[in-house]
Amino acid sequence: MGEVAVLGIGMHPWGKFPKKNLNSICRVAVDAALADAGVNWKEVGAVAAASSRFSGGKGWGLNGNDIVEDMGSTGLPVYNLSAGCAAGANAFNVGHMMVASGAHDVVLVVGGEKMPKGFIQTSGLEDETDPEYLRQRCVGLPGPGFWALLTRQRMEEYGTSHEDLAAVAVKAHKVGTHNENARFRQLFSLEDVLNSNMVSDPLRLYEICPVSDGAAAVVLCSAEYARKKASNPVWAASSAVATARFDDGLPRGLGCVPSPGRTHHSEARISVAKALEAAEIGPKDLDFVELQDNTVYYELAFPEEWGMCEPGQSESLLHKGETLPNGSMPINPSGGFLCFGEATTAQGLFQICEVAWQLRGEAGERQVPGAKIGMAQSIGLGGNGTAAVLKR
Amino acid sequence: MTDSSPVHAAKDLFVETSDGPRLLGSRCETCRAPYFPSSEACHNPDCDHSDIQPAHFGPHGTLWSVTVQNYPPPPPVVASDPYSPYAVGLVDLETDGLRVIGRLHVEDPASVKVGGPVELVLAPLGQGQDGHEVISWQFEPR
Ligand SMILES: [Zn+2]
Repeated sequence: MGEVAVLGIGMHPWGKFPKKNLNSICRVAVDAALADAGVNWKEVGAVAAASSRFSGGKGWGLNGNDIVEDMGSTGLPVYNLSAGCAAGANAFNVGHMMVASGAHDVVLVVGGEKMPKGFIQTSGLEDETDPEYLRQRCVGLPGPGFWALLTRQRMEEYGTSHEDLAAVAVKAHKVGTHNENARFRQLFSLEDVLNSNMVSDPLRLYEICPVSDGAAAVVLCSAEYARKKASNPVWAASSAVATARFDDGLPRGLGCVPSPGRTHHSEARISVAKALEAAEIGPKDLDFVELQDNTVYYELAFPEEWGMCEPGQSESLLHKGETLPNGSMPINPSGGFLCFGEATTAQGLFQICEVAWQLRGEAGERQVPGAKIGMAQSIGLGGNGTAAVLKR
Repeated sequence: MTDSSPVHAAKDLFVETSDGPRLLGSRCETCRAPYFPSSEACHNPDCDHSDIQPAHFGPHGTLWSVTVQNYPPPPPVVASDPYSPYAVGLVDLETDGLRVIGRLHVEDPASVKVGGPVELVLAPLGQGQDGHEVISWQFEPR
């Protein structure tokens, strides 16, 4: 397998843009990534795109085809990848494989989204074979409730307090305020977060991420091509995809068959382990990580589950400032989903952009000092998990 | 007069037996893996012969975690009118090997304790959009 360089990155800021169409948002990200890479559209050998169920793609998730038509129909191959909220990262994985295998020298990976209002709901179909529909109809548990169940279990097991949860949000906004692409850049005090509306107990409004519009794009290329364009590019040391195990302890529908112990979100644990192994590093070798913080819970649980720190240690690391960009275990220096909101299928690529900016030393006030190796991680509906390690 | 006779939230998910309410699912006779809802094939990667047979689950379990839904979610969620917050739990069913989700049938949702015993009941969630009272499986703290 050949080496893969992250040659160009580009992003349209996250927010709500009722007057813009999806193509124009994606176009901003793609143009920026190509310009950043110094690559002409006609040099792009293939496109890997995140499929959206919410916007564009001719209603069939053909979002890559929309982008190709917009950029110029050169006849190149397009791969539209669907993996729920992990779709952007899944597309990154396919782009990575296309370059690593030698199939293409230059690949564009793109994800863009215009989200409907409110929290993400079911497919909208009254289909009794759809476990998501059954969960809403027979029980009534929207997304934040799902995260709340995980959070409450952690509070019982580790003694995590409401103040601990709120402190994660305070920290996210402390770094996100420096990110010009973030949607929510205001600073919050602990009291602000604790006084925000209780949504799904124990999670409050400022402790969960809303939906946003946004787009991000990445240009990947072979080592040989990279040497012609850049003296010191960022490298994609690994990219891994996994799905949840049979014995996962978190029901994605109505029930599951858990093995003993902390078995939930196995798709995240497996993809991270695979990405670290392929990059030939351990979890403590990461200088920082961009992880999927749909809610504050994940910023506490995931680093422990992946071996970046000990179980039950996250709260004390948080309070000591160790998860800030200048700490010993920086988490989400971008500000994360809490500051961006979720433009579902674009999220995995916004993470790649942030990791690359950090490794180039171009992250300004939120820079992780001396960052040499970082990881991006996402999860999506259906038990999809992804992780990628970037280095310089 | 509107017809408000009770309807089940979904078909073939629960049943009232002479021993009380049970969840309707299935079990693989080869590896004993339980499924709720029922599965057409065994999903256990270590099982070499899928042999799915109907099975009843419940009624006793332990609460693994709980949340209180503080705002009214949109349809198809069914809730009381006027809305009052309800609790949803993840329950480890005794002897079945299943962890299942269910609404908690309780006066004060804030009073529910993680780790406590619960029992399966069939009870109304509220009135559906068509005016019918909607019955589903729920868990009652004991
Ligand atoms: Zn089996």
